[in-house]
Amino acid sequence: MNGAREQILTQIRSALGRAELDSARTEELRQRIARHPRHIEPAFDEPAPLRFRQKLEAAQASFAALDSLAQVGSEVEAYLDQAGLAKRLVVAGDELLQSIDWPASIDVRPWVAGSDERVSLTSARLGIAETGTLMLLSGENNPTSLNFLPDYHVVVLTADQLVLRMEDAWDSLRSCCVEMPRTVNFISGPSKTADVEQTVEYGAHGPRCLHVILVG
Amino acid sequence: MQPDSRHFKANAEAALREPRLQAALKQLELGFVAGRQRCYEALPEFESLRDRARDILDHTLENLDAYLLEYESRVIASGGQVHWASTPQQARAIVIDICRAAKARTVIRGKSMVGEEIGINDALEAAGFEVTETDLGEYILQLAEEPPSHIVAPAIHKTKEEISDLFFEHHRKLGFTQRQTDRGALVAEARQVLREKFLGADVGMTGANFLIAETGSNVIVTNEGNGDLSSTLPRVQIVTAAIDKVVPTLEDASLLLRLLGRSATGQEITAYTTFTTGPKRAGDADGPDEYHVVLIDNHRSEMLGSELRPMLRCIRCGACMNHCPVYGRVGGHAYGWVYPGPMGSVLTPIMVGLDEAGHLPNACTLNGRCETVCPVKIPLPTLLRSLRSRQHLQRQNSRLARIALSLWTWVALRPRLYQALTRPAMSLLSQLGAKSGSFRRMPLASGWTRVRDLPAPQGSTFQARWQQQQRGRK
Repeated sequence: MNGAREQILTQIRSALGRAELDSARTEELRQRIARHPRHIEPAFDEPAPLRFRQKLEAAQASFAALDSLAQVGSEVEAYLDQAGLAKRLVVAGDELLQSIDWPASIDVRPWVAGSDERVSLTSARLGIAETGTLMLLSGENNPTSLNFLPDYHVVVLTADQLVLRMEDAWDSLRSCCVEMPRTVNFISGPSKTADVEQTVEYGAHGPRCLHVILVG
Repeated sequence: MQPDSRHFKANAEAALREPRLQAALKQLELGFVAGRQRCYEALPEFESLRDRARDILDHTLENLDAYLLEYESRVIASGGQVHWASTPQQARAIVIDICRAAKARTVIRGKSMVGEEIGINDALEAAGFEVTETDLGEYILQLAEEPPSHIVAPAIHKTKEEISDLFFEHHRKLGFTQRQTDRGALVAEARQVLREKFLGADVGMTGANFLIAETGSNVIVTNEGNGDLSSTLPRVQIVTAAIDKVVPTLEDASLLLRLLGRSATGQEITAYTTFTTGPKRAGDADGPDEYHVVLIDNHRSEMLGSELRPMLRCIRCGACMNHCPVYGRVGGHAYGWVYPGPMGSVLTPIMVGLDEAGHLPNACTLNGRCETVCPVKIPLPTLLRSLRSRQHLQRQNSRLARIALSLWTWVALRPRLYQALTRPAMSLLSQLGAKSGSFRRMPLASGWTRVRDLPAPQGSTFQARWQQQQRGRK
């Protein structure tokens, strides 16, 4: 519908009482995009790790702080035990997670499309303290499905991956990636709905439980 | 959906007599309204965020053509396709063509108000596709064959018992033979039924809370995660979005996100906020092969050139309806189309016609709560007043109203005459009503007194008091 495109653009310009912007003005707008100015960023006093934890727990996520990556295996085992789950989980293929030493008692599998797993373990690219939010990126080793299909989602990140605000996450992303990953998920708690009589129930479509492990 | 706004009065009266609806609407005050208030008090920067949000959106609208083109070029660069539609008919045709070209059979939908606006479900079903809504509220309404009654909580008017009945009736054939009455069990049952739909769907449709010119991304904000499954699992993704959803940068979207959840449901952030850019990349583990965006105008460019332009700042949080005393009594269905409450009373007359929706701008007490809570400072009462003026100028209000208004104008423009008429009238009414403080009946005011008392004026007119006070100062 190329006709519609021209029609809409023409109508917008006539509504604004002007012709197409000249190249100087268009360049100004591109410059604004390139500068991507930050706006008002709400202040908070708590240290980032504390705020991150408090916000996540307020959203009904569970939280564990570990000293080293070597403890992740036993932490996950304890979590599965406590939730009464079989000792089996599907693990994303990224480097951080591949370096974990798993206890022999846990059946650790790589992700296969179409599989139906109850528990997934992924890493987060960053954690955002302001809102207690995990940022997860899609990629070769990070299927987005793992963040949504299983009932239990366990996420590992290291303390140096904590930033203060979403704007810091954008800066970090711009410095490491040439282009936006296909999917950037900001996750701030387990899946929920209040569509039945405005009362919150967890596990609407995504994970019923979100467990966050902060290392270091 | 076919608009039914011309029957607003009758629909509103029926709604007032519907006890279950009244109980559900009361919950709004305890839930969304109280939640927003808590967020407001916890964030000292709230007012300055509102100002900045308004400025960013005004800047974007001022340069809308350029930002849309920038957005389009980024979508194409990321491997996606952009389609433009002036009208709902064009938008429906584009979506159906994409589904046919993909040899699709089943379509799943994440909640999208613009999808409702263009009536995409009926069109897809008529074209032979199986369509499933996946937002729990929208799914309930799809089973009930009803339109949404709130833009954030579409099934707010449905009780648990009604939902139990609906699920029992529709899920029995899928093997769910027990009628569930527990909220958690109902949610779990819907999850199971819809999970199968997700896994089998060919096309996933979502809306967009924002479109980002900088990156060509669409943003969706949910608590359920259904929008994410809709964007991730099917092999084709179609995003329907209105042209006023574009913002320049990721930082601009971040600012608006701070206002959206707080204003909508009283959440600092929703469980899921997702930025999606193009189809799956080479090597990506999952994601769709095709990514399409349908940009829809539907009278928005016309609003851009009129006094209604501020309406295009709307981020669809629903705060205006949550705080509206009229919406709070009659609910969303009375408004007769997709968008209810104050924002709907501005949009509906433009999108379906002032002749069809003429009651809506008048279903407002001009109390101003909507403007006070609007996160992007849309002067809703002013816009509603301007629609009333349009109505008057286009002679679409009643003959009686026109005559009364003309008479009032004539008198009001003659201050001496106005005072000569109002002073004795006020004084008489205040004497007559002095005892009880109000009137139960009043000639020419039965429309008011039939359902409530009319407060008696307390003494003389404002102007008389003002003059007295001024004299006192001298």
